[in-house]
Amino acid sequence: MKCHGAETALAAYVDGDANMLQSHSMKRHLHECSECAAAHRDLLAFRAGFRAEVPRFSAPPALRARVLAMLEASRQSAPAAMPARMPARSGRSRPGWLSGSRGSLGSKGSMGAGALVSHWQWLTGGAVAGCAATLFAWMIGTTVLDWRAGQDLVAEAVTSHVRATLGNQLIQVASSNQHTVKPWLSARLDYSPPVQDLSQEGFPLTGGRVDYLDRHPVATLVYRFRDHNIDVFVRPESSHPPPAPRTVRGFNVASAKGSGMEWIGVSDVSADVLANFVQRLAGEVPTP
Amino acid sequence: MGSPETRFEELVLPHLDAAYNMARWLTRDVHDAEDVVQDACVRALKYVDSLQGSDGRSWFLSIVRNAFYDWLARNRPSEIVHDDTAIENAIDHASPGPQQVAVRNAELRGLAAAFAELPLQYREVLLLRELEELSYKEIARVVDIPVGTVMSRLARGRALLQRSPLLREMALQSMGSES
Repeated sequence: MKCHGAETALAAYVDGDANMLQSHSMKRHLHECSECAAAHRDLLAFRAGFRAEVPRFSAPPALRARVLAMLEASRQSAPAAMPARMPARSGRSRPGWLSGSRGSLGSKGSMGAGALVSHWQWLTGGAVAGCAATLFAWMIGTTVLDWRAGQDLVAEAVTSHVRATLGNQLIQVASSNQHTVKPWLSARLDYSPPVQDLSQEGFPLTGGRVDYLDRHPVATLVYRFRDHNIDVFVRPESSHPPPAPRTVRGFNVASAKGSGMEWIGVSDVSADVLANFVQRLAGEVPTP
Repeated sequence: MGSPETRFEELVLPHLDAAYNMARWLTRDVHDAEDVVQDACVRALKYVDSLQGSDGRSWFLSIVRNAFYDWLARNRPSEIVHDDTAIENAIDHASPGPQQVAVRNAELRGLAAAFAELPLQYREVLLLRELEELSYKEIARVVDIPVGTVMSRLARGRALLQRSPLLREMALQSMGSES
């Protein structure tokens, strides 16, 4: 059977851009047509490969600090006018990146051209940025040790998540019932992690396992969100601050403290969804 | 309606990561990406009063994209190709010339490197779909093209990347594990 137009319809189905009726008929079609079923598998494999291999970069803290300094400077300069100043990045080094691929100029420039601010100038913003930079440097200095520990922990958490996903070892106790998962974990650990099922909020509990993190066995809760797996490592709270949210090899990591525990979530869902979810589990966000 | 700064904090600032990620994949350079995002932030603050509704993300990303193309025209005009057929030819006879090899970033391997080398018009729609998870409609708004063009560029971009040997390997593995 030759399926005319099925390719775009299939892509829309996989991308979540098909309506209910289209999705329904596509599902039925995939049962009947082996050619389209194979194309469907290819698309899913492509997505999995892409999200595992292509990282999503997060804004560097220094950039964020500069944007905040710009806002502050704009607030102080005048309520009425001209927010258009931002301190320059210091120490520009520009690696000589040549490019082999080409793009087309599709910009309609609806937001005005670069003439608005083509160079950065030091004005009132400079002083504020200086203060922000000093404060930032001090914070870096005092937190660098914790940060290093956090880096290792985050990398380890991502590795555990990837290993479990690849080896199909995601779940050792499969249950959506928190009263099954919690005693199973308590029996294998020297602490008893709080376990909640949040399927009403779109995050069904699918099970749990015992993993290793930081050389200690750790409770791992496995949730689903749409087609994504979310691993949440739960361990007793330590004196270190929880690691900052990061992206490692395309996986987002978010953590929180609460209920006497430290919660570290690893998943390929978007960073803000993950952060909210982890905070919700830790009890930082009140139950709706 | 609050002050522009407050509106910026509420509607634009939450999408700083998305903006940086987009600029990072378009410029393929850490520092250039920061320049583009800074420029976009200045523009966004100036125009934030004109933002209707609450969809700050695609609004801000379209500003980032405009800032990027302005930056490109100033700094790497040779990358801008107006003729689509030239792009197609360049891909179809893709032999890795010295320029393409220079593109390869040491921190990227395999699929990520192949993605970084993809022509801009495919790279931008793919990153918006796969990394930022925007809908077709949102992508159409950011890139300022019809939804139909979004779909055909996604299909073409995916087809180009699926030639990557790594993906082929993964596809084979997934077929094996299902049987």
